[in-house]
Amino acid sequence: MNKTPALVCALALATLLVWLLAPMSLPERWSDSETALIASLSLSALPLLGPDPGNAVADDERAARLGHRLFFDTRLSSNSAVSCATCHRPELAFSDGLPIAVGTGMGERNTPGLIGIAHSPWFYWDGRRDSQWAQALAPLETHFEQGAGRGAVARLLAGDAAYRAMYQELFGELPAADQIPRHASPRGDEAARSNWRGLDPASQAAINTAFANAGKALAAYQRKLMPGRGRFDDYADRVAQDGAVRQDGRLSRDELAGLGLFIGGAQCVNCHNGPLLSNHDFHNTGILPVAGQMPSMGRFDGVLEARRDAFNCLGEFSDAAPGQCLELRFARDDTELAGAHKTPGLRNVVRTAPYMHTGAFATLAEVLEHYNEAPVAMLGHNEAKPLGLSRRELRQLEAFLHSLDAPPDTASQWLTPPGKRQRNPERELPDR
Amino acid sequence: MLRCFLCTLMLLLAPLPALAEEQPQFTLLTSDGRQLRIVSELSPLAINRIHSWRLYLTDADNTPVHGAEISVTGGMPDHDHGLPTRPRLTGEPEPGVYLLEGVRFHMPGRWRMDFSIALNGGPDSASLEFEL
Repeated sequence: MNKTPALVCALALATLLVWLLAPMSLPERWSDSETALIASLSLSALPLLGPDPGNAVADDERAARLGHRLFFDTRLSSNSAVSCATCHRPELAFSDGLPIAVGTGMGERNTPGLIGIAHSPWFYWDGRRDSQWAQALAPLETHFEQGAGRGAVARLLAGDAAYRAMYQELFGELPAADQIPRHASPRGDEAARSNWRGLDPASQAAINTAFANAGKALAAYQRKLMPGRGRFDDYADRVAQDGAVRQDGRLSRDELAGLGLFIGGAQCVNCHNGPLLSNHDFHNTGILPVAGQMPSMGRFDGVLEARRDAFNCLGEFSDAAPGQCLELRFARDDTELAGAHKTPGLRNVVRTAPYMHTGAFATLAEVLEHYNEAPVAMLGHNEAKPLGLSRRELRQLEAFLHSLDAPPDTASQWLTPPGKRQRNPERELPDR
Repeated sequence: MLRCFLCTLMLLLAPLPALAEEQPQFTLLTSDGRQLRIVSELSPLAINRIHSWRLYLTDADNTPVHGAEISVTGGMPDHDHGLPTRPRLTGEPEPGVYLLEGVRFHMPGRWRMDFSIALNGGPDSASLEFEL
């Protein structure tokens, strides 16, 4: 009997097992360019948060305290059941764990996390707001998010004694609450729009001012939400000193191999760059639309909406001089942006599943598989190209992403509703 | 075509005494033989930060060229995409010195910037390639 086929099969199986199980070789040192790239991803390279020229109270502690209260207050919704924190849950890096957000109704997109997002010049997946304070206003008037409307927001600020005192200390006088109709907004339903049109210009201006200031306080609070240093940052800082790949086991072999892919063959660092692992810009990566929705035009529509927004950097409620509104003034608006969505940061990515603006992928493994295939986009063109990575390499990339996770560098008082003494929920979470 | 190709190749890193240690700069020869010196107001040049460039346009005899209209396009040839912003000229603070605002780069790698220069004497152009 010829034993050759059996021997060949056994040899092939043994080779496969060796390839699968043997530790891969790692270089002794990163190259100079790799070392520089790794150093650029460390939180040590994160600049201090710059001022928001449109928000004069952005770094005022009193504004942050007011914003903190507002962030957790369900009265800022049409059904008094939804606050900002309903979808931006502290224990999930301020995301919600759902594919698509659910506020007062079913939303349209996945809820992004908020840790470190104050460093971004653009907000929302499609960049339809150009500041954190302008962004904070939009859900308050979107019927399926909070939908309170600016009348209700101004009325709450004026009628709640604590809010009124905090507000007036920062921003000056408010109208009496009984002079502000609860259901009045130029962006609401027909009744709200009708009530809004019935107001005289001075009343409209007073409500708009209070509304804008609520957004500025909410932004002042969210600027407190900064990423904390993780194992990767300690590793990267060591690499910056000597370029050695192994740094006393600070990262596992898989994590190191994943890092090598992240800055090398997988090309993740092209868009996920800098200490927050985001270029804060917009790219089409061929994500299919949400079932039942038309494909999102993404940044193509977003930049047009940002320009129309009454609360943008150039608007009358902004504290910025026009010369300070560089991103808005020089924003690109051509067809290459069709289907492009914002690059999310990856600092706490293991806590913010499901992924992408559609929430289409339940796990990081699915995300990486998508990038490995780089399918043709339904709208525009997919900027990514197929990677051809092996299963093992995809697992290594995922392992590296886990090394980025850390509790936020934010005092625990800001991570729970004001007035509630709770343990830090970030530290209560089981590993995901 | 050949001239345009050559002007792309004429990229020189030419430090000037007053600014050499502070601001990144490039000097190009345009297709019509003028000199276009580019000085970044962001130093060092880095990704993800919007900033301005100053463009110094001079004739072959080093005379500042006043009243030019300069437009800029660009992108990453290796990634087949354009600039993340739409930079444009917003003024000529001194004769022959032009302010280009809204410059930002969002990826590490090779970038290309193409300058189209409109003058009374006809169109001129220059291209810059650099690594970030």
